[in-house]
Amino acid sequence: MSQPKSQYAHPEVLVSTEWLADHLHEPNTRIVESNEDVLLYETSHIPGAVHIDWRLDLQDPVVRDYINPEAFADLCSRNGIDPDTTVIFYGDKSNWWACYALWAFRLFGHGKVKILDGGRDKWAKEGRQLTKEKPHYPPANYPAPLKRHDEDIRAFYEDALAHSEAKRPLIDVRSPGEYSGEVTHMPEYPQEGVLRGGHVPGAKSVPWKKAVNDDATFKSAEDLRKIYTEECALDRESDIIAYCRIGERSSHTWFVLHYLLGYENVRNYDGSWTEWGNKVRAPIERS
Amino acid sequence: MSTYPAKLDAIISLFEALPEEEKRENLIAYSEQAKKHQPAPGESFDLEDIRKDEECTDTVGVFLKVGPEKQSHFRVTLGPQVQTLTRAMTAILCRGLEGCTPEEILDLPADFVPKIVGGQLVRIRSQTVYYILTRMKGACRVFLNRLRSAQA
Repeated sequence: MSQPKSQYAHPEVLVSTEWLADHLHEPNTRIVESNEDVLLYETSHIPGAVHIDWRLDLQDPVVRDYINPEAFADLCSRNGIDPDTTVIFYGDKSNWWACYALWAFRLFGHGKVKILDGGRDKWAKEGRQLTKEKPHYPPANYPAPLKRHDEDIRAFYEDALAHSEAKRPLIDVRSPGEYSGEVTHMPEYPQEGVLRGGHVPGAKSVPWKKAVNDDATFKSAEDLRKIYTEECALDRESDIIAYCRIGERSSHTWFVLHYLLGYENVRNYDGSWTEWGNKVRAPIERS
Repeated sequence: MSTYPAKLDAIISLFEALPEEEKRENLIAYSEQAKKHQPAPGESFDLEDIRKDEECTDTVGVFLKVGPEKQSHFRVTLGPQVQTLTRAMTAILCRGLEGCTPEEILDLPADFVPKIVGGQLVRIRSQTVYYILTRMKGACRVFLNRLRSAQA
């Protein structure tokens, strides 16, 4: 299904824009757009794509947490997705939210997931077909997963604190200014309610952007290994936690480490800096 | 009695009456009109403010012309990465504030924004809906300061 792309651990998780353009109506496959720009899907989208909103569809409306298995089953069923459907995610911002949605699908054990390499920007820049027409698929039957697999790929504050105290690998994927504590929001974004700046003690700064090319495609496996394996001394057995501000940029890095480099033990701390930087007496390092 | 300028008030009333789905459709329609509010070739202004701020994802230019009766006329340029909601608010404000005085614009409360955008869309990462209004108010403030300096 995917194009060969260097020596990724799981090259099958990427599809190219060329491939997708030729396979828009692939059976048992659903294309899902997930964006930061809340109205972007409605302005236009890839033909046949459905929209999954990171906030309205994936997060609990009251508690800061994800939806429960029953709500996930309902979300999939109404979008014509069953447990055997291959879901191809794409979106704006170099696929931040596409990776976030993919990670959320993995929380519920959905295994057949892929990313459109380069995301929405690359598709649009290549002048490929976009439409305003919203597709309608017959509802599928997605049984509620038995549980959410938080323990496998999600880290909480206590996990990150234990990692920091034990000096295990913590990857801070925010911009250098956010890491150093110079700013409490990322460049070009409003303050998102964080009281303290800095980073988790011991965390290494590896901005998410290091993993992508200018056209938002992922860098080659060789380049990624230089960044994460050589410069950060990480390997397949490392027990890694990645974080950012609310978990979307770290989902991108989680995808790179887990699927493209094949690291087995990577978790995304989705509470990230908006939890850590507000928590009373949470230890903070500045540099 | 409404505290909003009449043209803006009409837009607010329209949006307030709409269900969420139609609100979104109308916001998209407004976002597509944002280009119509760019400066026309050869158009001159009393104040031009083009910059890239940390609060917005791309460069925004705000152009203000004030008539003899102090009626304001805004034009706005938006970089390609500016989000859809910000584009929509640009068209809404250019139309809704047309003819207001700079003082009226400075006194305008920002509480109308959620009435237009709706609760679902005002959230973390979409706070830039307030950005264009802030920039327009900033242009009015600078214009009035210059006017006062010239009159002193």
